[in-house]
Amino acid sequence: MTAPLLSVRGLTKDFQVGTVFSRRRVRAVNDVSFDLPAGLITALVGESGSGKSTIARCLARLEAPTAGQVLLNGKDVLRTERRGASRAYRRTVQMVFQDPFGSLNPVHRIEHFLTRALVLHGRSAAPEALRELLTSVGLTEDMLHSYPHELSGGQRQRVAIARALAVEPKLILADEPTSMLDVSVRVGVLNLMRRLRTDRDIAMLYITHDLGSARYLADTTMVMFAGEIVEGGDALAVMDAPAHPYTRLLLSAVPDPRRSSGYDPIERARLRDAILNPTACPYGSDGTCSRTEPVRHIVGEDQGHPHWVRCHLRAPATGIANRLLKATDDLKKAETTAA
Amino acid sequence: MDPVLEVRNLRVEYRSDGRTVVGADRVSFAIGPGEIFGLAGESGCGKSTIANAVMRLLKPPAQITAGDIRFQGRDVLALAGGELRAFRWRQIAMVFQSAMNSLNPVLTIGEQIGDIFTTHEKLSRRAARDRAGELLELVGIDPERLKAYPHQLSGGMRQRVVIAMAVALHPRLLIMDEPTTALDVVVQQEIMAQIRDLQRELGFSILFITHDMSLMVELSQRIGVMYGGRIVELAAADDLFAKPLHPYSEALMNAFPPLTGPRRELTGLFDAPRTTDSCGFHIRCPPDRSDCSMNIPDLREVAPGRWVARSTEGDLR
Repeated sequence: MTAPLLSVRGLTKDFQVGTVFSRRRVRAVNDVSFDLPAGLITALVGESGSGKSTIARCLARLEAPTAGQVLLNGKDVLRTERRGASRAYRRTVQMVFQDPFGSLNPVHRIEHFLTRALVLHGRSAAPEALRELLTSVGLTEDMLHSYPHELSGGQRQRVAIARALAVEPKLILADEPTSMLDVSVRVGVLNLMRRLRTDRDIAMLYITHDLGSARYLADTTMVMFAGEIVEGGDALAVMDAPAHPYTRLLLSAVPDPRRSSGYDPIERARLRDAILNPTACPYGSDGTCSRTEPVRHIVGEDQGHPHWVRCHLRAPATGIANRLLKATDDLKKAETTAA
Repeated sequence: MDPVLEVRNLRVEYRSDGRTVVGADRVSFAIGPGEIFGLAGESGCGKSTIANAVMRLLKPPAQITAGDIRFQGRDVLALAGGELRAFRWRQIAMVFQSAMNSLNPVLTIGEQIGDIFTTHEKLSRRAARDRAGELLELVGIDPERLKAYPHQLSGGMRQRVVIAMAVALHPRLLIMDEPTTALDVVVQQEIMAQIRDLQRELGFSILFITHDMSLMVELSQRIGVMYGGRIVELAAADDLFAKPLHPYSEALMNAFPPLTGPRRELTGLFDAPRTTDSCGFHIRCPPDRSDCSMNIPDLREVAPGRWVARSTEGDLR
């Protein structure tokens, strides 16, 4: 395996909330480590508030992490570029935001956004370069003179992607790039992202709460819950054989009439309870999970990507794990007999 | 059985500065007692226009220029003044898009729910508060929360409060305009389950509006797919899901990648802003449908209860 493009080690981000008198710290991201390999799309899925966007903002250097390392080609950029990201970093890592209505300044023409990105990074902003950028995202040249309000949401998001592409980045951080778009144009933007990965070898961190699109687009998927990444692996494997209770809960909540075996409401209620009240994990009522941090366990490998999970349930056989596994087996048995 | 709501040949126009935009045209459908009817389509297709027309909430420049709306046999378009006030909420209630932001931030939940009963049922404050508490329990929220302000509740809870308020006076029809768009999947699933339970318990009909076809197929019994102000397909949910007949219905279903099965390439739609006079589908349709690029044809019944917009007889594909 080649070295990853970007590695994150022990990333932690605390936010201060409250007034001077009732200051509290909220941990949005807790000790997160992962690698973003070159030329692959990694999806980061989870509910709102799970810390997905905070990770993206830390990687884009829009937030300063409380602790941890961000290694670009093996160098810790948080150490070498303390005051803010260098232009070289920005040339490598670009971000596409959720809201294409807010991320393009309404008083400028499309031409301006692309020219600025090119000039700031010392490239030629010749008409051919602009034309090439626009066509690469599926837009036409005549839009150069349009204002953002003259374009549809999908077209605006394509402009935002073109702007990111202008500096020929190695990594694009895409924070829910399709959630504000109309249903009919979402697939077009997803296909564009996939084409950029295949044709230009651009790695992407695709942040979303739409599990279907993560399965459709990504090579590997990581599942985030309450500031921690709890499961990761090949995108299809994670969705088809979820190992963590939270992943199962997320999947069970997605409406999908194609799914032949619906989740039974009793199991869903049990999963939900486990998530909202972690001490009441259905698989271990003794509170193991709240007392100790689960460690990573590899549960399989697909397409060369290890499928791992952080859950005591999957721990190699110890006394507790055996008991928990037996509990799940009983549950499954009860389910099959019920069905 | 007589339908609860019947909409016939409805046409809504937005008129300004000598320019007319057709928001909805020749829209007809009926909702039976206890039925869940879905209207699907992307932004700007006219689904919310229909909902607002049924509630009589359209304001100029919007105008209903043709058609009629009947609710349990009564002509809704003829209602005025006090009659209209009594009709709204008591007969038809509506849960708006991003409804959770429609709560008043400076009043407690209890005061806002209580207002319904003091205004519409002339209850005393005390009795109203008790009823409000019962209502919260109905949607699974602790009545203690009556004292809470909207910002102290999560998005999902606020949405539930709004749904509870909508069903407070036991309406015969509940209109829900994208009730869960702003919510997470897990919360969305809970809200939908809640709505289904309430519907079973109270027996009202639902007009459910969303762009999420999967969600719609799971909840509704019949679905109308709207495009460019027209209904292009009207069918039982299962039939539509099994085999969409109109290319737009199919495209809408393909807009959400599936969670199971092999990964296959989906084709997105055309993402230029469309004008009302071009269908946008001529690129995907067989050549004999070229005559519909200027206009969407009327619905034809191709099987019992199954309607699709097509110009000629014969198979679409």
